[in-house]
Amino acid sequence: MPTPTEAHLRYRPWRGTLRPPAYAAVAIARSSLKLLFRRKLFWALYGLALLLFFFYFYCLFLIVWLKQQFAERTMTILGGQVRLSEFIDRLDGLGLTGSAYTFANFFWIEGYIAMIVLALAGAVLVGNDFHHGSLAYYLSKPIGRRHYVLGKVLGVGGFVNLMTTVPAVVLFLQAGLLNDWKTWYFDHVRLLLGSLGYGAVLTVVLGLLLVATAVVVRRTVPLVMIWTAVFVLTRIVGELLAEVFESPWWRLLDLWNDLYLIGLWLLGAEFVPSRIGGPQPPVWAAGCVAVGVCVGSLLLLRRRIRAVEVVS
Amino acid sequence: MELMPDLIRLESISRTFGAVVALDGVTLSLPPGRIGVLGPNGAGKSTLLKLLMGLLPPTGGSGFVLDQPLGGDNDTAANWRLRQLIGFMPEADALVPGLTGVEYVALAGELYGMSRRQAQRRAHEVLSYLELEEARYRRVEQYSAGMKQRVKLAQALVHDPPVLLLDEPTSGLDPAGRDAMLRLVGELGTDHGKSVLLSTHLLADVQAVCERVVIIAGGKVRGVGEVHELLAVRADRFKLRVQGEADGFRAQLTARGVAVLGEQNGEWQIRVPAGWANAEFFRLAEAHAVTVRSLRRDDETLEEVFLKSVG
Repeated sequence: MPTPTEAHLRYRPWRGTLRPPAYAAVAIARSSLKLLFRRKLFWALYGLALLLFFFYFYCLFLIVWLKQQFAERTMTILGGQVRLSEFIDRLDGLGLTGSAYTFANFFWIEGYIAMIVLALAGAVLVGNDFHHGSLAYYLSKPIGRRHYVLGKVLGVGGFVNLMTTVPAVVLFLQAGLLNDWKTWYFDHVRLLLGSLGYGAVLTVVLGLLLVATAVVVRRTVPLVMIWTAVFVLTRIVGELLAEVFESPWWRLLDLWNDLYLIGLWLLGAEFVPSRIGGPQPPVWAAGCVAVGVCVGSLLLLRRRIRAVEVVS
Repeated sequence: MELMPDLIRLESISRTFGAVVALDGVTLSLPPGRIGVLGPNGAGKSTLLKLLMGLLPPTGGSGFVLDQPLGGDNDTAANWRLRQLIGFMPEADALVPGLTGVEYVALAGELYGMSRRQAQRRAHEVLSYLELEEARYRRVEQYSAGMKQRVKLAQALVHDPPVLLLDEPTSGLDPAGRDAMLRLVGELGTDHGKSVLLSTHLLADVQAVCERVVIIAGGKVRGVGEVHELLAVRADRFKLRVQGEADGFRAQLTARGVAVLGEQNGEWQIRVPAGWANAEFFRLAEAHAVTVRSLRRDDETLEEVFLKSVG
């Protein structure tokens, strides 16, 4: 321990201007991302997400290359002559041609990894704050509950967007470069805005849902079980009930499907039942479910995150 | 000359939780300095701390901390301004596992409103001051109990607040770590002008650090005063061992106002009246042909004074 004289020499007062609490949310988000990226498991899952991105990236390239290479060639199918370029256009059904379905399907598939990441991240980002009493650390500062929640949601959203929106924007840029970029970007700006919107919807809905469930459950294993129930069990039950009662409304139980429908609408895709897994409920109903999840999560957070817990 | 505002000024502050009265019309005025808040479990200490930090609105009365008004909901600009004046060190671990010491303290700085660069620079300074510079890049969950307490103090100190609110700062520390922590807290008060509000159930901590003490029990303030005043009103006691036929000696002591409080292994615990001179023991012993084998002070402790205060 320093002697009083040494301490006096070494302790320096600080005089500066303190900023409004909104900046604290950014600091919380940054530290949340730091906590996630310190774990090797998240790097592994992020690597898997990048593999999916590269699959789309090279498929887009491959299809354009094939169309250019075999533009004038024909082939015989069922006794008829078909131009190869027309045949390749039919591959649009796979959603790999830079259409709205390309981006919607990319979000859908990346979402599986995002859900695994979020199920594991809940305990790290929020559960630990309750388990280790860190809520006192945050809420004893000049910030409100909303800044804490906003910071955590931004942290979660940052990771989700690194897996979904950022690669989707790269795919958009690539698709433009593979076509006549001078007109393609302008003609397909809806895809860019839709991707950004889809990412924003995922950030808000999944972020709030994750923080709310982690506040209640706190530990990794129960969190994984709850997320599995929310995104796997509800899908099975929803599809089953939709078939039994012959009503697509039951599909609203599947939150990931609801978000997909909102994403399709944002991307401006046509709702062709054969391409989106059969008859679907209207997009406004899916939007209502998403809003309901957000409101429910906020109400739960308001009840559970209480500053009075700071002093036990 | 500008008058220094009171550290705490409370006027008939009350707080109830349903039928439970946690604080009952507390009126208190304390100047800046090192203040101990003492009280048994359930006395209302925690509620008082929550009120002082603006985390809980009072149900009645009004109050100020350094002229900042208390009250309102948790999430108001007035309460944020209030909390900028206070550095709070919680009793719970309150660590963020995965962050290093310097990241933990810098994050606290940013939460208080410092810019990122300022917070990082200040975190290094404060950790060096608290002798944690070698451990600053280690993750906080790997720290020893003493280091955890110091890093918690560092996050409270990062924005250089005028008021430090410390909730059981020596909790879980070994004697050496406890002494070191108390010395640090004392230095912050004496050398760096911080007002320290120390909430504890350890009277020795208050005795070591604080100038004033507030005793709370049953939601009411039972006593406020300077520590040395409290110690001055304590009874003068001795432990006395004599050899020989002591009945007459004992009767003479009682006649002079000395009370024999108890006897253990031939040693008497006695309380002497004010103005008693120790030479009297030896004079009376000689007069009654007994020998004083040992005489040592056994003054009433602050703990006993505290227990008398709270009934």
